[in-house]
Amino acid sequence: MKNILLFVFAAVTLSFVQPKTEQAILKTSAECGECKDRIESKLNYTAGIVFAELDYKTQLLTVKFKPAKITLAEIKTLVSELGYDADDVKANPEKQKELPACCLPGGMKP
Amino acid sequence: MKSSMLICFFALFHFLGYSQLKGVVYGSGQHEKKTSIPGARIKSLHSGLGTVTKSDGTFELTLGKSLPDTLIVSAPGYHNDTIFAQKGDRFALLEVLLFPDNLLPEAVATAKRETHSISKLKTLHVENIGEGELRKAACCNLSESFETNASVDVNMTDAISGAKKIQMMGLDGVYTQIQFENIPYLRGLESSFGMNAIPGTWIESIQITKGTGNVVNGYESMAGLVNLELKKPEEMEKFYFNAYGNIFGRAEVNVNGAFKLNEKWRSGYFAHAAGMFGEIDNNRDKFRDLPLSKNLSALNRWSYRGKNFESQFGVNAYYEEKTGGQTGYSHRSSNGLYGVFIENKHIDAFAKTGFLFAKKPYQSIGVVYNLKYQQTNALFGLRQFTGEEKRGYVNAIYDGIIGNTNHGIKAGGSLVYADIRQDLDSLLLDRVEIVPGIFAEYTYTSTRLTTVFGARGDFHNLYGFQFSPRFHSRLALTENLDLRITAGRGFRVSNVIIDNISLLATSRDWIIASDIRPEISWNMGGSLVQDFKLKTRKATFSIDFYRTFFENQLVVDRDLSLTSIHFGNLTGKSVSNTLQAEVSLPVLVNLDVRFAYKYLDVQAPLGGQMQQQVMIPKHRGFMNLAYKTRNKRWEFDFTISVYGKSRLHHVHIPDSDVEYTTMSSVYPLMNAQITHIYKRWDFYIGGENLANYRQKNALIDPENPFGPYFDATRVWAPIQGTNIYAGIRYKLKQDKK
Repeated sequence: MKNILLFVFAAVTLSFVQPKTEQAILKTSAECGECKDRIESKLNYTAGIVFAELDYKTQLLTVKFKPAKITLAEIKTLVSELGYDADDVKANPEKQKELPACCLPGGMKP
Repeated sequence: MKSSMLICFFALFHFLGYSQLKGVVYGSGQHEKKTSIPGARIKSLHSGLGTVTKSDGTFELTLGKSLPDTLIVSAPGYHNDTIFAQKGDRFALLEVLLFPDNLLPEAVATAKRETHSISKLKTLHVENIGEGELRKAACCNLSESFETNASVDVNMTDAISGAKKIQMMGLDGVYTQIQFENIPYLRGLESSFGMNAIPGTWIESIQITKGTGNVVNGYESMAGLVNLELKKPEEMEKFYFNAYGNIFGRAEVNVNGAFKLNEKWRSGYFAHAAGMFGEIDNNRDKFRDLPLSKNLSALNRWSYRGKNFESQFGVNAYYEEKTGGQTGYSHRSSNGLYGVFIENKHIDAFAKTGFLFAKKPYQSIGVVYNLKYQQTNALFGLRQFTGEEKRGYVNAIYDGIIGNTNHGIKAGGSLVYADIRQDLDSLLLDRVEIVPGIFAEYTYTSTRLTTVFGARGDFHNLYGFQFSPRFHSRLALTENLDLRITAGRGFRVSNVIIDNISLLATSRDWIIASDIRPEISWNMGGSLVQDFKLKTRKATFSIDFYRTFFENQLVVDRDLSLTSIHFGNLTGKSVSNTLQAEVSLPVLVNLDVRFAYKYLDVQAPLGGQMQQQVMIPKHRGFMNLAYKTRNKRWEFDFTISVYGKSRLHHVHIPDSDVEYTTMSSVYPLMNAQITHIYKRWDFYIGGENLANYRQKNALIDPENPFGPYFDATRVWAPIQGTNIYAGIRYKLKQDKK
């Protein structure tokens, strides 16, 4: 009986420790409206991501996701595979080359 | 003399030159106080041209010839900002607000692409209905594109033919000039049924201007101007497909696409097929609530961009057939039933051409051409209308400066040729109009004030010289408060029969005066637009007031007699006073709310006394809620309009136990739509008239449609009940280079 109670207690506590959704803000190399479309259209349809919003003016990507289904590292990899930096994870160079001019770093700077 | 003027107009001038943008760069400081930034850099992405702001933060930038262009504004210590400059922004005034880069990202206002915005940059009060707004309703054709807008009303003018007309400021749609990319459109014979000819999926955006427009656009904008921007080959989808169906039996298919032939040539094609196949008679008066119809429409447009020469041209064709009236009626074999059969077809071609002169950056000249052939035949019971129209139009505009860019000048000339035949039974109204005109407009621009003085003179072959002066001014009272004032004169030659074709759906005689003169009106008014912040999000409050009075008007009097309708020149005063107040609030991050209230006081001498025009309510309320999920997969829209009481014309009542009221009732009209977006697909489902409000006894004496009492023109509310519809869209974007 005690074991069952301990088990239930542990399970309940653990479920509090692991939150159902997490929100993170990543700094990307996205520069323009085209980047916003590309990143958001990919991420918003990825399993485990509740929403992804990019503000290309600040280059910050806000992502709300379910850690049980996808990890932050996997999200960063997805962004990198699209050709953009995501905090510490750098853009995949081959994929970055395929982007239109305005999306490349410095593409929008005077 | 005339032929040499014509030769001048037909010469090729250059259409797009360089454009001049002026503005101020502000930085947002403590407590969101704005301070101007000297030394900020503005660079154009396409042309590479750039400039730096002066010590007061102001700048002038010459834009390159390829518009739209992207401008990057930057200053040390601030986040960069990007602005899209479009062709319409030439000689515009920009205000740029930069945010310090030490601000937390969450505090930086995310620029949401606004779907309904009042353009601060323009001198005239222009409301823009963009793609986001057009998606909120099914928007099958142009007449349905105003469902979420409070300024333009769309009404069914009779219960049988399905004709829909817009109304601005309580004035009939014929007083609002409709334009297709600055070419006057839907005029003449198309004034009543033309709205169905433009499918909603072809429209990129709509600009609504209240009051008389610029002299450059012509003389017919008396109450306002509605400009339609259709999708263009440079920006439209590579492929777009839409299918729609509703419970009444209406189905529609649209296919658009664009392709690039080479670096210089691009083309867009648009095809549309629709029909109403259901026999609906929910109120069981033996009349179809909605007419059966079939329509087909196609447009092909081309755009050429060379080094010194640019051109756009296209061709459009349309065919429509409508059968309304008693259920079972067909125009081929009427079987003694009362019916309405309307056939509309048109073909039109347009072109815009220009040359570029590299050495003169502040000057440009452009020419616009339009040719149209239209045939409209309408049978209402035993009354047959046939109409034919041949129209040609040329407009050439020179755009330049006097001395410096604070003083802009536009001048030019236009020529309208219209051969309009309107035959109603034994009445033949044919006329040929040749109207050459000249115009000039002076614009004074400073940081806070922009003023436009315009004048045009048109030499009408039948009615003589008409002078139309126009004045518009915009004053930035504070950084967030704009005051606009407008005044002007407009005129049009009425087309008695087609403008009022719905009034054939009655047994009343038409008594038309023999000396109908052109309609002339003066309009003046103003608006105040205040931007404010709700937490960190941008909200708007606007209030506007316009007064229109007619020097002459084609007065349609349904009150003078019970057995006939009188059409004649104005004797006395005809005045319209309108007030509209609107608030737009982003209540939550993804929830936008808009409220509007409109007061309409439209009076004319009717039935021997000055009274409110029939079926124009004095009060109207409107609310729209729009919610989008943050992952952009779901959109929810809800609109409710409340119409106040309006006066109804007296009817000759047959002996029966049916009560016919003299005032309409207050009623709500509710529409809602849910859209689900999945990658390239949209799925939408929605409802119209969700309150299922139906006008009782809309038809007077429907049992005897050929009798003396029959009247189907007393329509002030929907006749069909709730409509449920669903559809899908598929979009493939063009590859970006």
